[in-house]
Amino acid sequence: MTSHRAAPAELNLTRIFEAPRELVFRCMITPEHLTHFWGPAGTSAPLEHIRVDPRPGGVFETVMVNDADGSTYPTRAVYAEVTAPERLVWTEVHSGMTMAATFVDLGDARTEVRIRQTNVPEAMLSPDAQAGFRTSLDKFAAYLRSLS
Amino acid sequence: MTVAVHEELDATFMALADPTRRAIVARLARGDATVNELAAPFNMTLPGISKHLKVLERSGLISRSRHAQFRPCHLEPAALDAAIGWIETNRRVWTERFDKLDAHLRDIQGTTTAPSKEAADHD
Repeated sequence: MTSHRAAPAELNLTRIFEAPRELVFRCMITPEHLTHFWGPAGTSAPLEHIRVDPRPGGVFETVMVNDADGSTYPTRAVYAEVTAPERLVWTEVHSGMTMAATFVDLGDARTEVRIRQTNVPEAMLSPDAQAGFRTSLDKFAAYLRSLS
Repeated sequence: MTVAVHEELDATFMALADPTRRAIVARLARGDATVNELAAPFNMTLPGISKHLKVLERSGLISRSRHAQFRPCHLEPAALDAAIGWIETNRRVWTERFDKLDAHLRDIQGTTTAPSKEAADHD
């Protein structure tokens, strides 16, 4: 793809964690924490491939490895905003897709994380791309449930 | 995968970015409707609603009969599915990621019996 024209699609997602805001924020910018959760079900995110330089212009690089066949999904991103422990914004280099994470202190050691994903490139909207990703996740969903 | 496919999906999202067009799509999900029927609840002129319908038609979200006298509008669910697909896939990635983060936070805060080794080493 030579064009990264964005479509006005966006994803908004909110989740509450039973942990203090500083800790949740630290998890999102620390390789030793990220490796535990960054890869969605059916994938892992090996520590040796995670690079985090949490400052505007700094890199955020991860590789998701498919547990089934070992295929890899490297993602290179650059931070646009790092405001500890409140807000992180990063943009994927290849796709131009932007993720904003807002951390809200709810008190009582509870934290709400709001994800807003915008600037979706055309290529990401391909049904083929989505189908491939879905299949690999479906295949190992049962296996992963047995681990938890 | 072709450029045409990307352009179609892009057009779908452009079409759905507008609240009036989203409302038209929601109305057509209940059944076909003519331009007059669609214009009524939006307090819009026929040319105004026609502009929206043209955008929806170009995006592939709706089709209109070329022959019928009143040219009723018809929703094309496949185009809508493709658009919703991206959002659902990404929602799922973040949900699964956050499931793992939730478990990890429990681990490192000692609220489970088996804290992870790396996390213990890290802090």
